[in-house]
Amino acid sequence: MKKLLPCLLLLLCSFSYAQNKAEIKEFFWGKNDDHKNTIAVPVKWKGESAVIIFKKDYYNFHKFGKSVTYTSAVRKRIKLQDANAVQQFSEFSFAERFYTTKGFSFKRGTTTVGIKIVKAGGTEIEVDVDKEAKDIDDTKKIAIANLEVGDIIDFYYYTVEPFKSFYETGFAPVETTLGDIYPTMEMKLLFETENDFFINFNTYNGAPELKEVYNKGGDRKYELVAKDIEKNEFPIWFYPAAELPFYKFQVYFARSARFEAGAEAFLSEKESIIKKTVSKDDVFNYYNNKFKPYGDISEINAFVKSKTFASDEEKVRQVYYYTRHVYFTKYVEAFVAHETNIFYPFELYQNPVFIKNEEQFINHFMNFLKKNEINYDIIIGTARFNGPIKDLLIQNNVTLLLKVNTKNPIYLEFFSPFSSADQFNYNLENTEAYALQVSKGKKVVDAENIVLPKTTSADNVSKTTTTIALESNLTDLKINRVSSFFGHFKESEQSDKLEFYDYVNEDYAKYGTTPLMELVRNKKKKEQYQKEFAALIDKVKQRKEEELKKIVSQEFEFEIDDVDYEVKNTGRYGSNQPFSFEEKFVIKNNLVKKAGDNYIIEIGKFLTNQIDVDKKQKDRVNNVYMTFPRLFDNEFIFEIPAGYTVIGIEKLNKKVENETGKFIRTAAISGNQLNIKTVKEYKNYFEPNSNWAKMVSFLDAAYQFTQEKILLKKN
Amino acid sequence: MKLRTLVLFFLMFSGLQLLAQKNIEPTPQDVIDAKKLREQFPKSDVAILKSSETISFDLNKNEAKVIVNTETKEQLMNINHRADIRKYEFYDTESEIKSFSLKYRNDKNANPAVIDEMYKDNDLFYNDARVKYANLSFPIQGYSYNYEVKKQYNDVKYFTSLYFNDEHPVIEKEFSITVPTWLNLELKEFNFEGNSIKKSQSVDPETKAVTYKYTMLNVPALFQDENAPGRSYLYPHVLVIAKSFKNKENQVTLFNSTADLYKWYSSLVGQMNDDNSFFKAKVNELTANAKTDEEKIKNIYYWVQDNIRYIAFEDGIAGFKPDDSQNVFNKRYGDCKGMGNLIKQMLTLAGFDARLTWIGTKHIAYDYTTPSLAVDNHMICTLFFKGKKYFLDGTEKFNSFGEYAERIQNKEVMIENGDKFLIEKVPSVNSEFNKEIFKASLKIVDGKLEGACSRIFAGESRAQLLYRISSLKSDKKDEILERYLTDSDKNIKVNNIKNSDLKNRDQKLTMDYDIAVNNRVSDFDNEMYVDLEYMNEYKNFELKDRKTDYEFDYKTNYESNVSLAIPAGYKVTKIPENLTINENNFSVNVQFVQSESQISYKKSFIFKNGVIKANEIEKWNSFVKDLQSNYNQHIVLSKI
Repeated sequence: MKKLLPCLLLLLCSFSYAQNKAEIKEFFWGKNDDHKNTIAVPVKWKGESAVIIFKKDYYNFHKFGKSVTYTSAVRKRIKLQDANAVQQFSEFSFAERFYTTKGFSFKRGTTTVGIKIVKAGGTEIEVDVDKEAKDIDDTKKIAIANLEVGDIIDFYYYTVEPFKSFYETGFAPVETTLGDIYPTMEMKLLFETENDFFINFNTYNGAPELKEVYNKGGDRKYELVAKDIEKNEFPIWFYPAAELPFYKFQVYFARSARFEAGAEAFLSEKESIIKKTVSKDDVFNYYNNKFKPYGDISEINAFVKSKTFASDEEKVRQVYYYTRHVYFTKYVEAFVAHETNIFYPFELYQNPVFIKNEEQFINHFMNFLKKNEINYDIIIGTARFNGPIKDLLIQNNVTLLLKVNTKNPIYLEFFSPFSSADQFNYNLENTEAYALQVSKGKKVVDAENIVLPKTTSADNVSKTTTTIALESNLTDLKINRVSSFFGHFKESEQSDKLEFYDYVNEDYAKYGTTPLMELVRNKKKKEQYQKEFAALIDKVKQRKEEELKKIVSQEFEFEIDDVDYEVKNTGRYGSNQPFSFEEKFVIKNNLVKKAGDNYIIEIGKFLTNQIDVDKKQKDRVNNVYMTFPRLFDNEFIFEIPAGYTVIGIEKLNKKVENETGKFIRTAAISGNQLNIKTVKEYKNYFEPNSNWAKMVSFLDAAYQFTQEKILLKKN
Repeated sequence: MKLRTLVLFFLMFSGLQLLAQKNIEPTPQDVIDAKKLREQFPKSDVAILKSSETISFDLNKNEAKVIVNTETKEQLMNINHRADIRKYEFYDTESEIKSFSLKYRNDKNANPAVIDEMYKDNDLFYNDARVKYANLSFPIQGYSYNYEVKKQYNDVKYFTSLYFNDEHPVIEKEFSITVPTWLNLELKEFNFEGNSIKKSQSVDPETKAVTYKYTMLNVPALFQDENAPGRSYLYPHVLVIAKSFKNKENQVTLFNSTADLYKWYSSLVGQMNDDNSFFKAKVNELTANAKTDEEKIKNIYYWVQDNIRYIAFEDGIAGFKPDDSQNVFNKRYGDCKGMGNLIKQMLTLAGFDARLTWIGTKHIAYDYTTPSLAVDNHMICTLFFKGKKYFLDGTEKFNSFGEYAERIQNKEVMIENGDKFLIEKVPSVNSEFNKEIFKASLKIVDGKLEGACSRIFAGESRAQLLYRISSLKSDKKDEILERYLTDSDKNIKVNNIKNSDLKNRDQKLTMDYDIAVNNRVSDFDNEMYVDLEYMNEYKNFELKDRKTDYEFDYKTNYESNVSLAIPAGYKVTKIPENLTINENNFSVNVQFVQSESQISYKKSFIFKNGVIKANEIEKWNSFVKDLQSNYNQHIVLSKI
């Protein structure tokens, strides 16, 4: 009998799993499946690779005390109209059993998959997933048999994740277009929940609304149904959330008011209400107790004490860069040493404080501001690709800033090794935001609508001066290029070109702080770690050299030789400082063409890759969403070899300018130098579609410059 | 409420690490050696100072199988500043790893985390290979680890070869193979010439077992070149051919001759249960309206090419035994064996003589004089039709009946023939067969080059393009085809594209279209500078840092004929120079011919054997430089 019991239990478990499988199948393909017989697709989509006949997204949130069961599923019924589509759906893979990352769980989650094929004549063939699947470590993989062009593939993935939630738990937010990679005849989103699950949900840009279809005894069901949806096409400079039918949602589990208060979400008053919008008051209520001046700022105090500052503004800026070092870059070496298994360094620090998120940064900095009696606000903004702040729904979409109310306000954001005071995430610039006003440096007392400052193309400048000399073999070109990046151009260039030792050592030198290795007291160990760290840096430098060669080669679209590179200014201590560097390299057998005794130089190619607006892009129907206004200021100095005259410079002078931007090029000869200047400007963050043609005019002009040549005529 | 400040609390675990650090640092001599080795192998991070592989044999009397035991010991040294590598060993259902260890220089166990997982290969849907590996960090130059692995092959049949080269350069590589008296084993050497490999053999006075030793010094790392020949052409290696063994007084034959290999393959075929009733209707449908036998064959062969997806399972014996034809037919997928067998069964049903055929593709250097599983890697079907043999490869796409892909041309095949077998060779074609021709007839109109173009593709150039087009999404086809014809160059516009049937694999593929090319004519003073070179064929095809042959997908033969009408009121004052090269494996001809009314610009690139040999690379690269100079020349037209 004792032996029988486990067997019986096992049998019961597998029976219940099988039963679940049958229920899941019934749920998607059973008698309530309105699409089980839908085979035909609209004629207008005959030329598409595939057509989604029906798509069902399903979410179910249920609980029993602390035990939560989260179910998510998707079913798609797709007509495969070409070989590409058949290939796309010829293999499926999934993890049948897995450990959820939500809450606490000792029980594994399960994924059930169902697949059937509907042949052109209407015959249905169901894939025996259990039999066909091959185990590849923790993944199951199925090759779909008997799949041909003209078939319909109908499949579902049904995932159940049980876990225990002792506190509040947020489910991953979903933000997506209604459309898919193929056109969709009908889609349905179905939500099932009960009390203690708070839902924020809204639709945008003409997507139908979520409707309540059932409400009884705390159980609720909601549905969103949409039909006839074209496939997604994302052109350049486009934010899908701003234009395409779109929905976003987040679900939060909170069993009591205590947990509701702790939830990192803008919850509705009660679970029965779907929260569709988040007002300024909601934001205020959420944040008014989140921030307080808090954190160990003894190092900042010592720094402030050791310096004199001309103004509060200067003090704030200096402290920002110092904070970036003592709470951030100071520990970078330690993380590197640890990750590369050189040694375990963290015990060398006494009471280390490493700031790792926005909230910590704001609280620390508030503490400093309060102590120094400097007034400030906390800014709640959202990146413009999420839509405007009035459409804010998901707490994750918030970006926090500090606005220090000095004579000229200073905006500060949580740092990266390259962030600057006075400069913040360009995706928030010129957007509406909420300012939480802080009374006496302590408590958030009010919230108001503000528009965050914008930058202009004069702030965001990419400047290069390229000197080009023809080598004596008259085929190779020797190049010297000095590049300087200002404003928002800086950070991506800095992170491409600088390595951790560049900025960490710079900070140590600037602030007189102690590098990691100096903290190691044991002489022998120190010697060993130093050696290993130096070897690591040498290896990174070796890789960097190859990377930089590749970057320049990609820019010119052919292989560049003998690349030499030197940073002139890291630009890390002020928004007005550029990041600048100098490169020297040689272009062999390219851009110089022989024509009898004369030479044609493809001078325009030095502007490097320009946007090539093709026929399809020209017919753009969407508005244009860009990062930030910007200006590219390039100067090319061509050294005219002795015995030759430059012909054709008059063609190089050209100007296209309108309200969206400009491309201007000028050329002049002075002594033995041909000097060409180009200026390309994008004036705005956004252009309505009606301005697209104007943009194309200056973009085409810039492209055309890349095709321009000069003639070196033998005297 | 979240913790406001992240305070890092760290426990003192460093003791262990410090203990482990003793005597593992490189000695000064190690550092000197590492530096020297890096000079010798400037692209490698790690060198294997010594690698000894000991191979011995045991008998599994019950299963009548010969077991192979291998024991490998290696000393790995970091020769760069720092190195982070993965040390791994493969095994499968026919083998097992008995032990896998990594030790520091002081011989204390390094105990790295050893991960054991299935080996994932993009080309195989499923395979039974597994990999055991550990990630290793070498913090400084000269740092070393001692690696030891013991592996057992349960059946000598699957233990086929011993290679000297490794992912890392090996300073001293040694194989020691002890062959007991009860085992008849041949060690067949390949690519030894040009490599200094020492051989010796000794006999154990007691057991009379013979130990063969091979030693090679300064073995370079495996080449990382793309489009390189298979490894059996490139590296010195020993093929292990177990011919027979004595078990309980019985002499058991393994692969004593090619006939034994065939016998084994044949025994696997004998285990199949083909049932053609499943595809009888399909065969009828495909052949019912065919007017000739040839049409019937084509209908069946093309149907398999177009409708059976290549999905490969390499799972134990399934790696050698074809899946039953009805399974492949019903599933609409299979590997080469399954496809080859389905073609055979369908053709047989249609009344033809079709047979399974084993083949080693071009990737494999051996022929069927060597009886080993390493000899072949592919299966096709041979059709005996009107006194000729036709080789049908189901894994090919848009392959015309009677044409053969480069990868099987000139390779030996083993064709089933009852108890016997036939050895034949797949015919080879010359590059003319794959010829691609580009033609453009241009004139200068408003500073642009305008005119009519055509492209013609034959043989494999046609098959490859037809397949690429057929794989595109229907709604993107026109756009991508246009991009192909314009080479994604904004300066080129194409219009009025007319092409031949994109599904017909039996005729030449043709594309006719109008073209307008911008920015290729420059006006300076009274002269016009014309750059006819907008296709730039092979301009950047320099084979840099390459030590191996470059193999093309097929024997490439490309011809371009561009004519430019001389505009009225202009005369030609300069045309670029001609350029010709003729080598064993490549010949290129670039020629400008001026007549009264036009300039004719002809180019031809012929890689007649589909290869640039390693010893020709220097010549080829030097030629590419000349080609670039040539392409960098303009035509000059002056006003009369």
